[in-house]
Amino acid sequence: MTERAIKQPDTTTVGWYEFATRHRASIAALVVLIFPLAMPFTALAVNILIYGLYALGFNLVFGYLGLLSFGHAALFGAGAYLCGIAVVHFGWPWYAAIAAGVTGGFLIALLIGVLAIRTRGIYFAMVTMALSQCVYYLFYQAVDWTGGENGLRGINVRSIDLFGLRLDFINPLTRYYVVATFVIAAFFVLSRILASPFGAVIEAVRENEMRARASGYDVTLTRLLTFVLSGGFCGLAGALQALHLSIVPIEIMHYETSGLVVMVALLGGMGTFFGPMVGAAVFLVLENLVSLWTVHWQLIVGAIFIACVLFFPTGIWGTLIARGRR
Amino acid sequence: MTSKVTRTGSMSRRRLLTTAGAGAVLAVSPFRIKLVQAQEATIKIGFPVPLTGPYGAEAQDQVRAGQLAVAQFNDAGGLNGRKAELVVRDDKLNPGEAATRTLELVEKEKVNFVVGSLSAAVQLAINNVTKERGIIFNSISQSDAINEASDFSKYTFHEALNPHMTSGAVGRYAFAKFGKKVAFLTADYAYGHEMVRGFLEVGKQFNIENLGDIRHPLGTSDFSTVLPRLQALKPDILCISNFGRDQQIALKQATDFGIKKSTQIIAPVLSHASRVAAGAQAFEGVIGGSSFYWGIEDKFASTKAFNDAFRKMYDGKVPTDYGALAYGGVRAMLEAVKGAGTVDTDKVIAALEALKYDYYKGPQYYRKCDHQSVQSVLIVKSKSRDMKNDADVFEVLSTEEPNEKNLRTCDDLGHKS
Repeated sequence: MTERAIKQPDTTTVGWYEFATRHRASIAALVVLIFPLAMPFTALAVNILIYGLYALGFNLVFGYLGLLSFGHAALFGAGAYLCGIAVVHFGWPWYAAIAAGVTGGFLIALLIGVLAIRTRGIYFAMVTMALSQCVYYLFYQAVDWTGGENGLRGINVRSIDLFGLRLDFINPLTRYYVVATFVIAAFFVLSRILASPFGAVIEAVRENEMRARASGYDVTLTRLLTFVLSGGFCGLAGALQALHLSIVPIEIMHYETSGLVVMVALLGGMGTFFGPMVGAAVFLVLENLVSLWTVHWQLIVGAIFIACVLFFPTGIWGTLIARGRR
Repeated sequence: MTSKVTRTGSMSRRRLLTTAGAGAVLAVSPFRIKLVQAQEATIKIGFPVPLTGPYGAEAQDQVRAGQLAVAQFNDAGGLNGRKAELVVRDDKLNPGEAATRTLELVEKEKVNFVVGSLSAAVQLAINNVTKERGIIFNSISQSDAINEASDFSKYTFHEALNPHMTSGAVGRYAFAKFGKKVAFLTADYAYGHEMVRGFLEVGKQFNIENLGDIRHPLGTSDFSTVLPRLQALKPDILCISNFGRDQQIALKQATDFGIKKSTQIIAPVLSHASRVAAGAQAFEGVIGGSSFYWGIEDKFASTKAFNDAFRKMYDGKVPTDYGALAYGGVRAMLEAVKGAGTVDTDKVIAALEALKYDYYKGPQYYRKCDHQSVQSVLIVKSKSRDMKNDADVFEVLSTEEPNEKNLRTCDDLGHKS
């Protein structure tokens, strides 16, 4: 907290930026709650939440830790598949299936992290990509469990039972708010992590590895732990995706899904809290609107992406924050 | 709110947010208007197909033929004046996108039925979404899995052929005529595997000798290493089970290697669009299966009528195989609505099950247990000479008449009778 804020505890005079930073999770939660009103259709709003959460997890490694991973599709996909398998093959209830998905994200992240974390820069990107392709083929070949080429079908959760309350999961708005609850919880957890001493260490490692090491921090362990935490967030996103679409296609683990999240994070603003959400919203809404209008939507979305990178190098949200701070 | 502009940064930030908010609302507004305008009475058919991606050309043809079926229904007065509408969405050949789009079609557009898809995985994704919500889905692309009890529901219909029927028909024709020694070149994914499984199954009746099966990954651009190996096996028949660009390259190189001199090449599916793309020489003499070819119009009045209507609507173009499936799928749906006199799901299902129809290729009907359309399979041979026009690409050698015996039995598929 800044000195100024302590002298003037009245938040209205602290300035919007400090206020917003301190209550970033709450503000994000508010926006998420009214978000579906502004979207063309609810399923798209749910997708934005899910891809936003996926990008949020990715951003922990990319923006805050400063490592570019090209293998996050494996974490996202593992979450989706494990959640789906828990429902389809074991008949677990929804909460256990989501837990299985998060665990899947953690496990695959640990596996990839242990093998890749000592490499830097482009090598880290290459190794994570190669390992995620291994995971892809593992799930592709396990046809009995994953459906292989045809994808995993039948993740049919019709209702969410909670303390005697029964929510109709087929209803689009109910589905949105169930997913939103998990995403908002993830906001608070991530905000807490970043605000903790450990969060400061993550950024210290990004800024100056030698100095962090000299200060007595275990750089490798910090990296690994951050990567695994990122896996948890991506796994949760994957699990929610599986429940939302009721299928898991093998494409979810394809390297295009890894590339997509890099694009979304760049578009929104790497290293900003809300940037990935903004990036996911802008990208998916654009894709949706333009592809209704022309089959050459990729051309137009690509041109807009290039324009964004050229004119907003810190991303859309990053630029807005910089303006606001001025 | 923004009228009291102060010099603090917070205000300009707020103004920016306001502007952005207004922009977002503006961007959304056309949708709101469309929602209000949509008439309650229109019968809506959701139509997710891969307009972008490698099968874009086929998908465009599906849309054209689907529109034709809707136009004919509307011109004939609709359902007591209620008009139909095709709501087309691009599924981008991605099952996740297809599921999202189907949710949009069902939840926002409130479609009555869904017809579409051009990939096995995509149709299974759409099917899972629609069956959970009690919406009838008529699939117009090939898959074996969609017939099986685990994916089937009473809302699931399958207008297209499936790999079992296609490879069975081609196998029965070719194994009887060209010899017993068979070699396989197969694309290493579900489509290729299902086709080979079908060929080997039917091959048992002919005691064929399996000389070997060489698998290649999807998107192979050079077959020159595998073709000599296949040639060395000296097969009577070389069975190439791949699709699209892979098939075009494989056939072109097989021609260059002179394999056709000693060996008959067969393919489970010969697509009109692929043949046009690759040219006459590469496909010369290749025999394969097809669900439809416009040239059967001298045999069936329904084909003639369909072709003429299509030509009239689209400047003399003839429909392709996948286009015809879309026409059949959409028209069956609308005829069932007419027959039932309502869009009520259960009554339309009953009407579809009772339908004996001939819309574009001779008689068809939906089998009761798995809603698979029992239909004829055409055995076609690619032409290289005496072609009357650009669309005159195949010669129909034989037609396997519709027969439930050529389908997997209901028991095999896991349906309880």
